[in-house]
Amino acid sequence: MRRPRHLLASTDDGHLDLVPLIDCVFLILLFFMLVGRISVEQRHEQITVPPTRSGQVPPPLGANWIRVVVNVFGSTAAGNIPRNAIAWNSDQPWISSGQNEQDFVGYQKLRDKLDLVYDRSRTFDDPNGAKAPGGGVLQLPSVIVEVRADADTEYRVVQDIQMLLVDSVNPRPDQSGASMQPKVPQKPFVNLEFTTRKPGDR
Amino acid sequence: MSSDSDHAIEKGRIDLVPMIDCIMLLLLFFMLTTKFTSEEKSISSILPTNKGNSPPAKPTQVVEPPQTIQVVITPAGLPMMHTEREYQIWYDHNVAVGQGIIPTAELRMGGNPTTITLENRTLSQRDNPNLEGEVENIHAFIHAALKRYEIPGKPRKEQSEIVVSCFSALSWRYALIAYDAARSYEAKQGGLIDAMDPNSLTNARAVSFAPPRVRNESVKEMGAELFELHRLK
Repeated sequence: MRRPRHLLASTDDGHLDLVPLIDCVFLILLFFMLVGRISVEQRHEQITVPPTRSGQVPPPLGANWIRVVVNVFGSTAAGNIPRNAIAWNSDQPWISSGQNEQDFVGYQKLRDKLDLVYDRSRTFDDPNGAKAPGGGVLQLPSVIVEVRADADTEYRVVQDIQMLLVDSVNPRPDQSGASMQPKVPQKPFVNLEFTTRKPGDR
Repeated sequence: MSSDSDHAIEKGRIDLVPMIDCIMLLLLFFMLTTKFTSEEKSISSILPTNKGNSPPAKPTQVVEPPQTIQVVITPAGLPMMHTEREYQIWYDHNVAVGQGIIPTAELRMGGNPTTITLENRTLSQRDNPNLEGEVENIHAFIHAALKRYEIPGKPRKEQSEIVVSCFSALSWRYALIAYDAARSYEAKQGGLIDAMDPNSLTNARAVSFAPPRVRNESVKEMGAELFELHRLK
């Protein structure tokens, strides 16, 4: 079989023909650009979210809305981030099992972060007309909190996070040692998303 | 001194080496940063603000105590015991807090003694071909029970509230699957919730997770929680 003329010409004077190589590389590049997704740092790989049937791809955020992700770990394997640890976005996780009153550091740090976000976000009147403890209508922030909990996280940790979000408990014990009293002023987050996956997804 | 690239340009050829360098770098970037995992989904939820510690609105009429449908999830195979202490002993012997994963749970609806078993192993294997069927079974069980409790003619908002009461030390997956089943039942009836639309709660039936039954979170009170859950109607 005769070789194409342009190939012969290029190899005759000592130059390699790079066109087939470039074709292949372009195809591979195109494949990765179209098929792959750049990893989002807010999402830790060690978390396997529970399977559900009706979970949907989250819709795009509305104007002035923001989304924050609370990662909760569930693995019991050695070397992994411990079960029930909490991480804010891509931050280092707070190891907090919530087994006793002294072990609530993770919840306290989470609430501190939430307070900061609340102060910076736009707020609107509660449609239910609930009254704020200090007077006036309760103000809700335009923030969606995505609770991305591992399927093996203990249920009570997710419960506690929900209570923290709606600000119905104060995780920082006061001088009397009580920690389960509502915080004033109340800064509730009520718009949630629970991360999940379809049963067949990997 | 003339370089190879100068030679190439003189001969009328374009020097492709810089372009190949760039392409290779781009390729390397995409190969290292891309993932082929499927995209995660989410279930929207809005927490109620009118059930907490805020001062309630003044009632203008006689209010009936709210009717709730409890979806109770407890460790499987646990017999009915007489005291909280007995449950606590069982818990201390079988579950190391924060480490041990309770292998099997059972789900019942309200006071109905019929249960469905939830296997942690089956529900945790990503490549399990039966996973979809297992989730489907749980949905069917909850949907059938909710259909029995349906009050004909009443709008969604006025149907009995659905509360998922799961034992604190069980895995989150059980509670979320039950919550999803209740929500999908409501979606079939037309009650959808949009996390960004605070008004969507005003027309939807309440589906919520029960607040912690053990308020001070002490593991010594897990027995008390199991005692309560087993008697929940």
